[in-house]
Amino acid sequence: MTHDLSFGWTGTIGEVTLGATRDDGGTRSTSYRIGGGTTLPFLKNAPASPTPLIAFEICDNPDFWSPIIRNYCGDLVNSTTDWAKAATSDYQADLVKLHLTSTKVRNFSDIASVQKTVEAVLSATSLPLIIEGSNEPKIDSEVFLKCGEAGEGERLLLGTAEAGRYRSIAAAALAYNHSIIAQSPIDINLAKQLNILLREIGVQRDHIVIDPYTGSLGYGFEYSYSAMERIRFSALKGDTDLAMPMICSAADTLTIKEVREADPASIDDVAVAWEFYTGVAAAVAGAEIICVRHPKTIGLLREAFAGMKTSSTAAEVP
Amino acid sequence: MTDVEFARKHGDQELQIKVPALSGSFTYDDTAYHLPISFALTGIAVHDKPGAQEVYAKTGNNPIVASECLLAAQTASAGKEPEPFTGFISDTVIRKLGYSLVDGSILGLALILGKPANADSAAAICRELQEKYMLTFLAGDVIPVLLNSGVKLGLDYRLIPLGSKSVYGIHFVDIIARVAMMFGGVTPGDMHRLLHYAAERAKAIVIVFPGLSDEEIAFVDGMRVLGFPILTPGGYEGGTWITAGAEDIVRRGMEEKGIRVNVTAIPIPMGCSPAFEGKSIRKEEMYVEFGGGRSTAFELLRMRDASEITDGEVTVIGMEVDTMVQGSANPLGIIIDVAGKTMKKDYEPVLERRIHNFVNYGEGSWHVAQRDLIWVRLSKEAVAKGVKIEHIGKLLASKFRMDFPQLLEAVSVTLITDPQKILEAKKEAERVYEERDARIKGMKDNEVNTYYSCTLCQTFAPNHVCVITPERMGLCGALSWLDGRIAFEISPSGANQPVEKGAVLNLQNGEYEGVNRFVKKASHGEIERISLYSVMEYPMTCCGCFEAIALMLPEVNGIMVVNREFTGITPSGMTFSTLAGTIGGGAQTPGFAGIAKNFVLSDRFLQGEGGIERLVWMPSQLKEELKSRLEKILSDKGKAGFFEKIADENTATTIEDLTVFLERVEHPALAMKPLM
Repeated sequence: MTHDLSFGWTGTIGEVTLGATRDDGGTRSTSYRIGGGTTLPFLKNAPASPTPLIAFEICDNPDFWSPIIRNYCGDLVNSTTDWAKAATSDYQADLVKLHLTSTKVRNFSDIASVQKTVEAVLSATSLPLIIEGSNEPKIDSEVFLKCGEAGEGERLLLGTAEAGRYRSIAAAALAYNHSIIAQSPIDINLAKQLNILLREIGVQRDHIVIDPYTGSLGYGFEYSYSAMERIRFSALKGDTDLAMPMICSAADTLTIKEVREADPASIDDVAVAWEFYTGVAAAVAGAEIICVRHPKTIGLLREAFAGMKTSSTAAEVP
Repeated sequence: MTDVEFARKHGDQELQIKVPALSGSFTYDDTAYHLPISFALTGIAVHDKPGAQEVYAKTGNNPIVASECLLAAQTASAGKEPEPFTGFISDTVIRKLGYSLVDGSILGLALILGKPANADSAAAICRELQEKYMLTFLAGDVIPVLLNSGVKLGLDYRLIPLGSKSVYGIHFVDIIARVAMMFGGVTPGDMHRLLHYAAERAKAIVIVFPGLSDEEIAFVDGMRVLGFPILTPGGYEGGTWITAGAEDIVRRGMEEKGIRVNVTAIPIPMGCSPAFEGKSIRKEEMYVEFGGGRSTAFELLRMRDASEITDGEVTVIGMEVDTMVQGSANPLGIIIDVAGKTMKKDYEPVLERRIHNFVNYGEGSWHVAQRDLIWVRLSKEAVAKGVKIEHIGKLLASKFRMDFPQLLEAVSVTLITDPQKILEAKKEAERVYEERDARIKGMKDNEVNTYYSCTLCQTFAPNHVCVITPERMGLCGALSWLDGRIAFEISPSGANQPVEKGAVLNLQNGEYEGVNRFVKKASHGEIERISLYSVMEYPMTCCGCFEAIALMLPEVNGIMVVNREFTGITPSGMTFSTLAGTIGGGAQTPGFAGIAKNFVLSDRFLQGEGGIERLVWMPSQLKEELKSRLEKILSDKGKAGFFEKIADENTATTIEDLTVFLERVEHPALAMKPLM
């Protein structure tokens, strides 16, 4: 049975540039231009869609990280720079995503350390960097200022802007020319509203990546999937306020009972399986960046994407 | 008293003489924007007299441009002024300032010029500006006056001394010009956009004390083009400057420019975001809980007069969380008092429902249900981080202000944990609930021409559309027609939209042309027709939130209803959850309809199938819940005794048992027109 795959779509997903090479005033070894799609990914006989990028997530305070990953990565997790290096050379990620979990400590005040961490990670890896900043509105302003400053020229992707909490991150994006992740709680209308708010504050469309929020497989991922699908359909039908690339992080999967309480002998396999299937499903729904925490998930995802037969990879900016 | 208009004319003349007399070259270091005002206005990089003259001519002899060029030339020849004066401020600093402006940690910019006669009132003005998150620039004699009275100046104090003379205030304008170029997407030379940005986006006010020269007055008055209100505590007349008393001048200026002090962050020791909304707190993660049948609890939002409320006030009556036993259930009354010019009493229940979302936004707080059925938990983690009951109040007070800035001007929260006092307060709440219910009770579908849609659930059921009428509330049981109307008033582009009923297509089934048109559009073309009162023909779509399901049982020519709480098997051979899985997701399934439990009590219930006589089976618990009300309705209709003919799981669990039961009680459905 064959389906007609010409949907009559008129929209194109906007492109966002991640990372800046020396030629563009940064120090990254490569940069990516994501987005640009005109239909759904992985369709046979449809225009080729770029393979989703895989970001490996690390953090600067492993107390806030899943014990599964702490055990698997071992000592690495205690050195943000070594971990970032491993992500680049051993795990072969496309992107490094740094979570500033150190700012989660109660009454965190060592703002200067944020700058040092960002600078250290930028020199430890030459991949484009995603940074998840503060988790505490009170220190947003200072943390994002430091992130923005420390990464000036590097075209970072900064996270995470939310409807009630986007000004600091927007300010950092505007002041230092970074892009931002705009997260809404699995709701297309809120996603659109946030993008409009960001536009009103001055953030250009080509600096926004949508995070529709990724629920865990078995714990609401189907809602995420549906929201992503609808965001993408609307974009392809011509809604420019939703025509941005999407990012998905499977982070929640490591905290659900089935994974957390898996048999110790197979816990890594379970964690990887959960991340993998979430990642594949998110990619099918249209996500341009898939974030994972288990190193072993990266290779599997890459293999799967290759198997799903897309004819080109993400366009590298020459 | 200085006449502004006269001084402006004279000042303009002076500047016209001085510009052609410029000499040498003049540039600022540490900027990529040359002379920023001239550059932003014309795109011309001025660094000597010809450039200055060109820009001056192009801008129609603008006094601001003239002053910028003259000051740059003077700075170039005489050097920068010594500390504490900052003089021209570098791009790096502006980037940070711009950051704070976008970020909201600075609400706006103020410029103070001239020589205040009274040091104390000048200091008070500065203090007020500091308190209101304004970044203030100072130029001229005001600086020594403030320093002499002990006011601390510098970026850390948000009081920046630009220079010894008022003309240094020109740097205030070059800062705004650079912010417009850096953050506002204004391209150099795009005068129109620059002026638009300055007028619409730059939140700036100017306060002028006496003692300005005519040239200085000319440039200050020139700032009116940028849309900055120019205020003075006195000493100037004529022109359009605003005279205001020292104690009122900041408020007046901020009001003129529309600078509002908003709540930006909630001062509580836990995260607060919709991202936490879906997280539940399980028993083992819980520190304490309230309500949920384990203790008395309720919530109530009331409108009050503004004079009765102190905005942001949170009061806890009774124990705080630190004196509660871990794992225990405690009483909790949440009373929210709100005031606002556009607030209406009708909005109370709609706003009250937001308590549910807001409490769930807390990283360690959880909330379900409504009114006096609420169930609230605080997590161990949150309590360990220092979260108290008081913080739930703070969260609510802040969120209501943040989310309804146009509607609410003051919000205060009272939390009652005292087991005695809560009983009294609950009585008052129950009275209010009854009043609210009575308001909607008498309304009939044929009395209104407009129904309301609800597409909240399109998040997960993309093509689902609820149509809410006075006699048929949303299938989730949470939204009445009145709520829909109010939700639309509050947020006109939200999920509740008016639906014009239009021409009648089928009166008995409740099918209307306008409703069909709306549903087709709102369901993205998926659903063409719906009937409001029929289960069999074009029933409404089902999202997944329905309180109960009404479905046909062709074997007995009747309709059964099963509610979500009933876990057993029904005569249809399926449980609630199996049924729910079959019909949800926004589909239209003839023979099945998602309904609110209370819809059973409506005159419109099963109208398309011939009325309530079709009802053959309901779980006993639902029967019990509806019994007193349903029996009264039935007896009013002359159908007393029908209630007993409705089977339940005690009389029939299979279709065979049901057939036997219905025949024995001579259920009217058996003799009705065949359903299929």
